[in-house]
Amino acid sequence: MNPHAKLISLLSLFLGTTITISSNHWVMAWTGLEINTLAIIPLISKSHHPRAVEASIKYFLVQATASALVLFSSISNAWVTGQWDITQMTHPTSCLLLTTAIAMKLGLAPFHFWFPEVLQGTSLTTALLLSTIMKFPPMTILLMTSHSLNHTMLVSLALISAALGGWMGLNQTQTRKILAFSSISHLGWMAIIITYSPKLTILTFYLYILMTTAVFLSLNTTKTLKLSTMMTSWTKTPVLNASLMLTLLSLAGLPPLAGFMPKWLILQELTKQEMTVTATIISMLSLLGLFFYLRLAYYATITLPPNSANHMKQWHINKTTSTLTAILTSLSITLLPLTPMMFATL
Amino acid sequence: MSLLHLSFYSAFTLSGLGLAFHRTHFISALLCLESMMLSLYISLSIWPIQTQTPAFSLIPVLMLAFSACEAGAGLAMLVASTRTHGSDHLHNLNLLQC
Repeated sequence: MNPHAKLISLLSLFLGTTITISSNHWVMAWTGLEINTLAIIPLISKSHHPRAVEASIKYFLVQATASALVLFSSISNAWVTGQWDITQMTHPTSCLLLTTAIAMKLGLAPFHFWFPEVLQGTSLTTALLLSTIMKFPPMTILLMTSHSLNHTMLVSLALISAALGGWMGLNQTQTRKILAFSSISHLGWMAIIITYSPKLTILTFYLYILMTTAVFLSLNTTKTLKLSTMMTSWTKTPVLNASLMLTLLSLAGLPPLAGFMPKWLILQELTKQEMTVTATIISMLSLLGLFFYLRLAYYATITLPPNSANHMKQWHINKTTSTLTAILTSLSITLLPLTPMMFATL
Repeated sequence: MSLLHLSFYSAFTLSGLGLAFHRTHFISALLCLESMMLSLYISLSIWPIQTQTPAFSLIPVLMLAFSACEAGAGLAMLVASTRTHGSDHLHNLNLLQC
């Protein structure tokens, strides 16, 4: 892609995200969402492959509809209450429409059908952008309006997301689709606690971004697009594969890795709110995700590729691991003992 | 709810349903998206008249500018889909299925 066009697209992404995050007026928030949508379309379709064009069409239709729904809910709220403040969204129909629109933007089930296909049609780095930066503005809007949203609807969206993210990820062999379903189930965990403790949603969101970025960058080093590539990548980058296994288990939420921190705190908060059945259901549903993460970790480390028995590891490795991958991987494995500090400072 | 509110809500809802239930062509989905934006533009234009805040009158123009950019991007994708898939039929977009 033309470097100037790429620079303009990336800068516009950051501009749109910043505009929405720092806005108090609904029209500014909508403007940031539109800038984000327009800026990422050339990044999705930059390879001009038919799959990339198809992914950009699906992404565009869904996001444009969701942006129009956000503006419609804010206009209906403005007609009733006469003001455009994001934190004072009082009309219940507007809140319902807004929750639906944000669920479409984020990829919460049952509005998630575009997400695996769009991630499949893009490169690994653009999929990383779609999973992390494009979730910032809608999540910020959800957090700013969280005190006036409907509890029941958000909890049911969260449970359906956790269920669908777990179940539909079980039969996948493409790593980008597996990461899409993992993202959907993580969004379910974020949405279940947002009306009770928005600080925990922020903590889950930051940790999700850390772990997902670590996994995507590790997969990008070996260009692992499907499971069969993962089985043979051990010979080229043995240390990276070992750390990838630990990062994947952290994404699954196993103690004593860092991914356990948000699940633990969310379950604690849910039991404090007398929602023990919900807490049991969502933790059972995350076991489904654990299966496909374990399968990925197994293929990354325990299977032996069909190389000759004398030389398992390649003698010459020409893959340089970037510092960013190393930092994010080690953070996403070892951050659990810092739980009190992280929860207190958010 | 006054007649004005009802007309805006029904215009938006009907266009939204047209976008959700589009059948064959991508361009009909783009047209329904444009009519959603048009209903939002007219309701944004009438709000400052009803609530007597003339300072708000520039916002519909801003909204129209962004929706025009979006329409342009959608048309560019229509052309791209015709180049790669041969037509704008949405049934042909099945390369990325699970």
